[in-house]
Amino acid sequence: MASTMSERPPFLTGTPLRVLVGLVLVVNGMFPALWILFTSLKAENELMLKPITWLPHAPTLANYLRAFTDQPLLLFLFNSFMVAILSTALTLFISVLAAYALARLHIRGRDLILSAIIAVSTFPLVTLLVPLFEIMRTLGLLNTWTSLVLPYTVLSLPVCTLILVSFFEGIPRDLENSAMIDGCTRLGALFKIVVPLSAPGVFTAGILAFVNSWDEFLLALSFNSNPQLRTLPVGITLYQGEFAFPWPVISAALVVGIVPVAVLIVIFQERVVSGLTSGGIKG
Amino acid sequence: MKLNRSLTLLLAGAAMTLTASAASAQTNLRVFVSSQHRPDVWRKAFDMYEAKNPSVKVTIETGGNTSEAQAQYLNTIMTAKDASLDVMILDVIRPAQYAAAGWTVAFNDVIGKDADTYMKRYLPAYAEANTVDGKIVALPAFADAMFLYYRKDLLEKYGIEAPKTWDELTAAAKKVMEGEKDPNLQGLSFQGKAIEGAVCTFLLPYWSMGKQLVSNGKLNFDREAAVKSLAMWKGFVDQGVAKKNISEVATDDTRKEFQAGNVLFAVNWSYAWGQFQGADSAVKDKVGVVKLPAVKGGEPASCLGGWEWGVSAYSNNKTEAQKFVQFASSPEVSEFMAINAALLPQFGEVYTDADVTKAVPWFASARPVVETAKTRPVTPRYNEVSDIIRTTVNAVLAGTSTPEQGAEQMEGRLRRVLR
Amino acid sequence: MAVASNTSPMIRKSESASQWWTRWLDPSERTLAVLLLLPAALLLSLIIVYPVVRLVWTSFQNLSLTSGVPAKFSGLENYALMLEDPIFWEATWNTVLITLITVPGALVFGLALALMANLPFKRKWPVRLSLLIPWALPLSFAGLIFAWFFHSEYGVVNDILRRVGISGIIWFNSAGWAFAAICLTIIWKTSSFMALIILAGLQTIPRSLYEAADVDGAGRLRQFFEITLPLLKPAIVVALIFRTITALQTFDIPFTMTRGGPGTSTSTLAMYIHQNTVDFLDLGYGSALAVVMFAISMCVTTVYLRMIRTKG
Repeated sequence: MASTMSERPPFLTGTPLRVLVGLVLVVNGMFPALWILFTSLKAENELMLKPITWLPHAPTLANYLRAFTDQPLLLFLFNSFMVAILSTALTLFISVLAAYALARLHIRGRDLILSAIIAVSTFPLVTLLVPLFEIMRTLGLLNTWTSLVLPYTVLSLPVCTLILVSFFEGIPRDLENSAMIDGCTRLGALFKIVVPLSAPGVFTAGILAFVNSWDEFLLALSFNSNPQLRTLPVGITLYQGEFAFPWPVISAALVVGIVPVAVLIVIFQERVVSGLTSGGIKG
Repeated sequence: MKLNRSLTLLLAGAAMTLTASAASAQTNLRVFVSSQHRPDVWRKAFDMYEAKNPSVKVTIETGGNTSEAQAQYLNTIMTAKDASLDVMILDVIRPAQYAAAGWTVAFNDVIGKDADTYMKRYLPAYAEANTVDGKIVALPAFADAMFLYYRKDLLEKYGIEAPKTWDELTAAAKKVMEGEKDPNLQGLSFQGKAIEGAVCTFLLPYWSMGKQLVSNGKLNFDREAAVKSLAMWKGFVDQGVAKKNISEVATDDTRKEFQAGNVLFAVNWSYAWGQFQGADSAVKDKVGVVKLPAVKGGEPASCLGGWEWGVSAYSNNKTEAQKFVQFASSPEVSEFMAINAALLPQFGEVYTDADVTKAVPWFASARPVVETAKTRPVTPRYNEVSDIIRTTVNAVLAGTSTPEQGAEQMEGRLRRVLR
Repeated sequence: MAVASNTSPMIRKSESASQWWTRWLDPSERTLAVLLLLPAALLLSLIIVYPVVRLVWTSFQNLSLTSGVPAKFSGLENYALMLEDPIFWEATWNTVLITLITVPGALVFGLALALMANLPFKRKWPVRLSLLIPWALPLSFAGLIFAWFFHSEYGVVNDILRRVGISGIIWFNSAGWAFAAICLTIIWKTSSFMALIILAGLQTIPRSLYEAADVDGAGRLRQFFEITLPLLKPAIVVALIFRTITALQTFDIPFTMTRGGPGTSTSTLAMYIHQNTVDFLDLGYGSALAVVMFAISMCVTTVYLRMIRTKG
């Protein structure tokens, strides 16, 4: 990628210019996150100053202390994490199977099925809140992680399937065939040959699914009333009062919520981008 | 009832729950409590009930931290006809809606014939807010109202009395602002953002002119009074008494700005008092609180807040739940919550109770204000009414419609909802 | 997973292997396909199809919980009401406008970000992180944060404007500025994902194409329009599909930033559905609105998918 890029004289040759461009990118992407970070270090009175302050005058960690002591923030993180991991795993499993069928098997109406998967998922979940609640109650799933894992899986299924289909199509059939000649079943070949070869695509799909479920609010509020099962987005709203909106404490909680995702991104960034590289193209 | 007595009860309760825990055939009541209103203190109050009724176990449920989030949560559960909640605490604007949807059961049967006398114990506005077509749809949990907060120090400095009319307030604000020459000082802060508070904003002067929005479930719109009300608020902006971006101001913005010392007069709910007197407040001990002003020649009017207990129609323990609510809405609990959670009582006499005035002295001055408070329209379609009013108030304050246009649109849209 | 995989290294005779192969290929291939698609189908039926069927059914009913009247079949009445409802038209128009502004906006802005991010930076992770963070920030909080940024007094946008010497704008006081603030926020939030997909596309363009163009003496700009853009098209279409669908569902950002105000000038269809269903408890009308919105999404998806298919 970038290493081969350097063989060609880059467009912006001067290092200072490149640093400037990098700065623009970083400021654009990070500014709100940084602002939240600064706010989380301010006392509430400082927010009412005019003109507003950028860097905190008297940085304090008190908001973080409150964020962890006023509400069980670690528990929220744990729940969010578990729900996200479980739904990511389920999304990947289901979309790998579906994508393989769509990419490899000669199915009549393949495009129709693919369109149906995408189209069906264009339905905003907000409007399905009540029937979904009834389904979860009938299945006895209210106040469980599962009640969130299932809809979150649906949330990410179309994108993940689309990405994986294009990945699987890019893998030579011969590899699979020879594995099957070696005695692998078709599914064995899928999980031993195709999936490992599409690792970047699987990673991309995984990260997409993870972030989607990490962010969801409405279903989490409605299905899991048990305080022990609250996820982070729901938990963060608990720092407000009926009227009060304590930005500094909420900012601290938000920072704590963003960090795991940021870490995940930094660890997997190479794979996410290269995954999209080969995945996004063929559609 | 004395504080000591509640403590004794509490201890007795603790002891009794220990012994009763082995007993079988318990009724488990699941009670939805708003988590912004001290569920920890409610828990102690409910412990007293468990002590008196060993066969009943009360579990507290919460969900969402604002009236709106809670409505979203409860609406989902109730639309799905779920039996998981027996008792719900409801914002005062909701009991009528919940009753019309068939989500709550009326209390008339358990209270019996003297329902009138029973309801007369409460402040009159609460009797009204919880009665729909003669049915008692909920019982009050605690009270709230809008107050006029002012800077005692600044008014004293300029030798001004707390204003009794909005005109006096304007004059006072202008005088202080001219004298202080502080560009950050606002004369008046109120709620102009399209939130529930903006409904009260509109109704305060409208009520003060002696007008009602809804009577007997029918729209009773007085266009002239509505124009005057909208024009009065817009006038504060145009005269520089309120700031230009008042259409951005929500309830807590008013509180924060007053607390930072940037506001002379503020319209806000009772929660603000505790915050103004907090350790990190710039206005600690410089705050006065009075009734909201009246329009010239009118009566002072405040907006009634507070929360009510309703019993779910899908509950499997309706009778037990109703008995429990009668306890939770009793003067004893009211006093307990006033002392321990600073929630305003729904009974007039509790305000002047010696233990209460000792714990929260300012409640003595709160009573006359709460007594002037009027209920927002009691109608099943309140949410639609609210949406119409708040968006109009917001649009007028933002300057996108004139008070006349606003009143006209408001009337047209209200007519469609409340034929 | 339940299907046992035969891992024995035993090499089958080529004849029996081909027999085995054809066994899988022919009618049984359909069985396998059905088995593989079954989990997705089951889950989608449970979470989407069944609720949607119920929703469509509700949309033909007169079912307003606050009316105190039991549900009654009313045919197309809810749909007829919609035609005369000025707020429905306003909300739909706003939704279309938001889609028409923010989708191309995010595309252009995302393309710019991608081109910048494609420069050979020594350290790549800060650039990538700043492309990914806006995408990973929960939508509802992005709305709150930007509402605060655009606050006329305490917002950082006006602070910067004032420092530059321009007097601040009261963003949420006028329909136009409020709309602009919302669109800017949506573009910021969504352009980063757009950029990621485009960046991925950029990196698959063979270098040799540019080298050949260099030899031919084509300028940078011509190279961009004649090589880069055409080759990016498939990546862009995929990004556009998902962006357009989510744009049609715009809810959180205007909901947290303006509540649809001033007046109802910035409310969207999704917000109006939510309001009718959750606040007004008019399930019949709310369902009808949702069905209309679903129909719009379906049309757009179909058009896009057809575009992909013709691309091969």
